Amino acid sequence: MAKKKNGEKSDESSQNSDSDLYNEDEEPSFSDPEDFVDDISDSELLGDILQQKPKETDGYESVIVVDGVPQVGPNRIEKLKSVINKVFSKFGNLVNEYYPVNTEQNTPLSGTTKGYIFLEYSDPSHALEAVNLTNNFKLDKHHTFQVNLFTDFAKFDDIPEKWEPPQPRPYDPIDNNVSRLDLHYYLLDPDAYDQFAVVTTSGQSVQIWQNTLPEPNIVEERSNWTQTYIKWSPLGTFLATFHKLGIALWAGPSFTQYKKFTHAYVQFIDFSPCEKYLVTYSPQGDPQNPDQKRIIIWDIRSGLEKRSFNPEGPSAWPIFRWSCDDKYFGRVGNDVLSIYETPSFGLLEKKSIKINGIKDFNWSPSDNVVAYWVAEDKDVPASVTLLEIPNRNEIRKKNLFNVADCKIHWQKSGDYLCVKVDRYSRARKERNEMKYSGMYCNFEIFHMREKQVPVDSVEIKEPIQAFAWEPVGTKFAMIHGESPNINVSFYEVKVGLAPNLLKKFEKRACNHLFWSPNGQFIVLAGVGSNGGGSLEFVDTHEFLVMNTTDHFQMSDVEWDPTGRYVFTGVSYWKCKVDTGYWMWSFQGKILKRVNLERFAQILWRPRPPTLLSEKQQKEIKKHLKKYYAQFESKDRMRQSKASKELIEKRAALMEKFQQYREQQIKRWEANKPRRLALRNNVDTDEFFFNVVSISNADAVNFEEEVVEFFIKEEIIPVD
Amino acid sequence: MKPLILHGHERSINQIKYNREGDLLFSSSKDNKPNVWYSLNGERLGTFNGHQGVVWCIDVDWTTTKFISGAGDNSCKLWDCETGKEVANIKTMSSVRTCMFSYSANMAVYSTDTAMGQHCQIAILDVRTLDESISHQDPILRIPISGSRVSSILWDNLDETIITGHENGEIIQWDLKVGKKLNSIKEHDQLINDMQWNKDGTMFITASKDHTAKLFDAETLMLLKTYKTERPVNSAAISPIAEHVVLGGGQEAMEVTTTSSRAGKFDSRFFHLVFEEEFARVKGHFGPINSVAFHPDGKSYSSGGEDGYVRVHNFDSSYFEYNFDY
Repeated sequence: MAKKKNGEKSDESSQNSDSDLYNEDEEPSFSDPEDFVDDISDSELLGDILQQKPKETDGYESVIVVDGVPQVGPNRIEKLKSVINKVFSKFGNLVNEYYPVNTEQNTPLSGTTKGYIFLEYSDPSHALEAVNLTNNFKLDKHHTFQVNLFTDFAKFDDIPEKWEPPQPRPYDPIDNNVSRLDLHYYLLDPDAYDQFAVVTTSGQSVQIWQNTLPEPNIVEERSNWTQTYIKWSPLGTFLATFHKLGIALWAGPSFTQYKKFTHAYVQFIDFSPCEKYLVTYSPQGDPQNPDQKRIIIWDIRSGLEKRSFNPEGPSAWPIFRWSCDDKYFGRVGNDVLSIYETPSFGLLEKKSIKINGIKDFNWSPSDNVVAYWVAEDKDVPASVTLLEIPNRNEIRKKNLFNVADCKIHWQKSGDYLCVKVDRYSRARKERNEMKYSGMYCNFEIFHMREKQVPVDSVEIKEPIQAFAWEPVGTKFAMIHGESPNINVSFYEVKVGLAPNLLKKFEKRACNHLFWSPNGQFIVLAGVGSNGGGSLEFVDTHEFLVMNTTDHFQMSDVEWDPTGRYVFTGVSYWKCKVDTGYWMWSFQGKILKRVNLERFAQILWRPRPPTLLSEKQQKEIKKHLKKYYAQFESKDRMRQSKASKELIEKRAALMEKFQQYREQQIKRWEANKPRRLALRNNVDTDEFFFNVVSISNADAVNFEEEVVEFFIKEEIIPVD
Repeated sequence: MKPLILHGHERSINQIKYNREGDLLFSSSKDNKPNVWYSLNGERLGTFNGHQGVVWCIDVDWTTTKFISGAGDNSCKLWDCETGKEVANIKTMSSVRTCMFSYSANMAVYSTDTAMGQHCQIAILDVRTLDESISHQDPILRIPISGSRVSSILWDNLDETIITGHENGEIIQWDLKVGKKLNSIKEHDQLINDMQWNKDGTMFITASKDHTAKLFDAETLMLLKTYKTERPVNSAAISPIAEHVVLGGGQEAMEVTTTSSRAGKFDSRFFHLVFEEEFARVKGHFGPINSVAFHPDGKSYSSGGEDGYVRVHNFDSSYFEYNFDY
């Protein structure tokens, strides 16, 4: 078959070369030479031949070459064919096969097959799949298949002797070609303004704003940009939008579509921390395409699917958790912790780590260390273990007793780990479910940077509402107690010392903690329908409450990546009235109230971590005074410019209005006699009216009336 | 600014109006007795007794001698303002939603509700002689309204046209000589709760359920300005002395229980007439504001609310000193 194809191909190519010749010789000559080209269309002239025209699928793309096939005599060839068919027919319909046979006479091998075969599929994609999955396929001990596409032979034959490095392309920052997009354009703003995205459910419009002073500027607005919500990638490079058919990523100066990831009915996504990979999750799957896996991991740059999974049972999103450098990701299974490697996407050391009773795990944000916890089992106590990856070295293990539940909280810089342990005094079993009573709580603090990782415990007798590490620094905050006696406590951890209580705020109305991304400042917020929308801005340096205020029905609190601004929002998803977002300074001063109908979501665009070394940052902090003057003069200029603009705008409006009024008043004055006629010649145009015409008898009937009042003073308290 | 709090009504206030001199303040409510007060000290001068239902609308003529009221008991009544006696009672087929005297007070207009199988209808009365005969006279003109009902009404200052605001947000100008539509616009999406003139009657402001108040030219119905809020606007008034407007409104009464009064949505809100910028709020009511009115001297204003109180606010000196830069 392959040979026959070859023949056809050569015919075709000779035809092509002929037609090339015609084209070159074609001249505006009206004689009818041998190379006369008729204007009758090809289909009219040779419809019957055109029907046999090679189609795209007729090439060699569907042909694969399998080497390492057992050499058999004519008597066993049928058997071989059935074995081969069994292996290869699962990738697609085999339309052709060819088993070359030794034709040499008088050798022991004569009449046997040559050990390689040609197979042709009906579709090139099947051939490709067969190559991907059967190359290195072990048929038995002595026979391993080497499978290649037939076209690859030609490709590798043609490699030129000398390799030439590709020419570097000139750099163009606003080129919209996706492969050359400047993905970090937004970071180049000279004033380092941050961006934020606003989603409204009416028309699913998405707005991208730049938080310029004195007024934010809209950068981009598109309706129907997303069908549900949006998500920024963790370093802020990409904007992910959700669609029925999958996820689209947008990037660059004008938010060009960067990649599409087709995954029908996708609802959740997760980026790897370095933005190399994207995990998409379609919990219901696609009813039209039951083969679609529910979780797919993609390579963002190439847009290719790397691996897909079907999760067993319900589990909390994200199911897969990534190590800080994108090298590994893992998930918890039944008594196993499965760690996968990238870029191979295979299991690390080809097997999962067997851990009996593993409940949950989390990666350190700075090192390739996982912390996991194991539930109690009869005689075995519960424990928290730190495990180094990939060498599976157990760094630290701590046993715990009477454990109902654990929550693993890593500090953002990876210096500390806090495990919040819910403990019980009594437990009983009820219909296969454990019921606990007499709950209290322990915090186990692991000092990651010290030798042998010492662990400290803090015990709290009250239920814990929230816990949060200071992202940069050594403090943590928690909300504890039961309504209405809700307290907020701040602890500090130090090298070699047990955590000590710094401050306790009593009787606070809050249920969530929001640290500034740079630490020190924290917002205590009452979020949600029963949170009351209270807001308290605290400086934890001296535990100064900078402002206490509220945003009623607030559902979101968002710090900007630099820790200068806070957004509070009332989302249409939670509450139907008074939706909108308010912007506050980090001190709790209201800067802007935007009441937006059907407002749904607001997200600051994240920033990658600073490239300055710690020393450079210190240097800047030391000389901060030097910069103040610059910034202040800049601010002043902006302010005066803004007020100038506003005043110009107002002046223009006023002028226009006054012109309009002049005409009106002219009209009105022209009508004065008619008005006077209607009101018995009494001029009521002014508040203190006067009688115009004494001659009218009616008009003189005015007399002054004196009304006497009792004046009684009464004090009414008014807020 | 310490307000006078007028507590004479048992139910929520529907409409308040000053007389032309501003010494008297008239109020009507869902109870059946319109009240009249001295605006200076808040003393009640008297009540107009006779209606059997919700009094939706009231008006007083320019001489403060005639008083008209329309009510849910299917009647429109004319009163002697001085004595508070009912002079005429006009029976209607459905409740009377709006009423107003003409500029000369020779005529009055009222409109009825689309209810009880009746279509909305505008009727013009001759009220030159205020006596019992008005009860039986045929209106000078009847205009049946087939579309959306009239929810607010204004009479121009030449007794020639009336402007009606409708439930669907439409505004229609009518020529009374022929009883035909002159002009109509639809700038609002929802019910127009209130319309009020500026001092000289060349512009009027509308208050709509669509969360906005708008300023229009009286002759051409050209939209001039829009004042935006987050709540239905129930009433709006233009200051006679400054370029200010005041808006009153709030949550719809049925939704009040789900809103905290702290959220500050029951405030009177002051906007600049030209710049459309909000510059002040006045708190006080603990329910939506249904009607606002400026004193004709512009030195005080009043608001009547769902909470049943009328609050008379005298402006502080800071109000008069406040100036927009332009």
